Amino acid sequence: MAIDGFDDAARERLSALADGQLDSAAVAASCAAFHRDPQLRADWHAWHLIGDVLRSEDLASDPRHDRAFGAQLRSRLSAEPVVLAPAASTSDLSARAPSERGRRGRWTAAGAVAAGVVMVVGTFALVRPDASPPAARIARAEIPAATVVSAPGPAPAADVQPVAIVAGSQLIRDAQLERYLEAHKQFAGTSALGVPSAFLRSATVDSAAR
Amino acid sequence: MNAPDADAPLVERVKQGDVKAFEMLVVKYQRRIERLIGRMVRDVDLVPDIAQETFIRAYRALPQFRGDSAFYTWLYRIAVNTAKKSLMELKRDPLVTESARASRDEDDDNPRVENEPSDAATPDAVLASKQIASAVNFAVEALSEDLRQAITLREIEGLSYEEIAELMNCPIGTVRSRIFRAREAIAARLRPLLDTRDGDRW
Repeated sequence: MAIDGFDDAARERLSALADGQLDSAAVAASCAAFHRDPQLRADWHAWHLIGDVLRSEDLASDPRHDRAFGAQLRSRLSAEPVVLAPAASTSDLSARAPSERGRRGRWTAAGAVAAGVVMVVGTFALVRPDASPPAARIARAEIPAATVVSAPGPAPAADVQPVAIVAGSQLIRDAQLERYLEAHKQFAGTSALGVPSAFLRSATVDSAAR
Repeated sequence: MNAPDADAPLVERVKQGDVKAFEMLVVKYQRRIERLIGRMVRDVDLVPDIAQETFIRAYRALPQFRGDSAFYTWLYRIAVNTAKKSLMELKRDPLVTESARASRDEDDDNPRVENEPSDAATPDAVLASKQIASAVNFAVEALSEDLRQAITLREIEGLSYEEIAELMNCPIGTVRSRIFRAREAIAARLRPLLDTRDGDRW
């Protein structure tokens, strides 16, 4: 049913897309056409139904059922937040995307490692209050070094540095850490972080429950 | 078929926020997914619900889909897990059984909601799918040899355009147009069965 030549070309492209044989630049346009044109949506369904039936007759289905299924799913999808995976960058950028992604990945990794070091050192200072003055000193000495490793962003140092403040031999937890612990409840309820508490606490909870 | 996943371009579009591209994948796979679930779950009323849940879960999980397997393989796994989970919930909460649903429907004087999937097993639906199957077979028989070979190699053998071009000894552009024309010809025969009286459209 050739309405006009232009229309047929759009439908032939959709047919190629159904087979995964449309070059990526044309895919977006074809999806947009599908979005606009009910005829293309009907074609898309008919072609896939035909393919299914050719492969196996028991896949023949009542088109009314298919349509109802699609309508219900569309309404459910409209309630979903739109999926976005920016790492899989747009097709026209795909030529340079891998190197960019690689670079970003590497910096992210470096940052994560640095944050990890800071975290471990900070925790070390926290869990050994008896040794805290020297430990804290080590922590403070280590953090700038770790930051140098993570290089480009000066931000992490300022954020992460005051993990623990040691006044004399007293241990004072900072507000940021409190919020962190609040969010990670497995540590909550342990007023004294001086002991490796997570394990001990789960034991007491267990025995109390029995 | 070892060719790259035919769904990859659409999956990419979904990852860029194109919900319509996901709907295209749903239209493509809904029948296969429902058949798969139908083999696992006896209650036919539950099949569309579980299939819906499968697609919603797939949509949510799509950013994590890395393309290590074909999209359909991945979707298949989600369908199996969703069906298993529903079966377990059914055991725990046996109220949601076929009979419970049936009696609830009887109490209800109102006809079914328009967009609720109709029961796949009604005689009407069975007849409709039989008509579709025979119309497709009839239409394929009526195709010219070139068109029939092209659509068969694509849909049944799962070959790529390049492989079909090699087998049929013609340019890839010709393969593309033959497959399109074959689909058009078959769809034209199906149209009376596909067109809707109730006016709802794709």
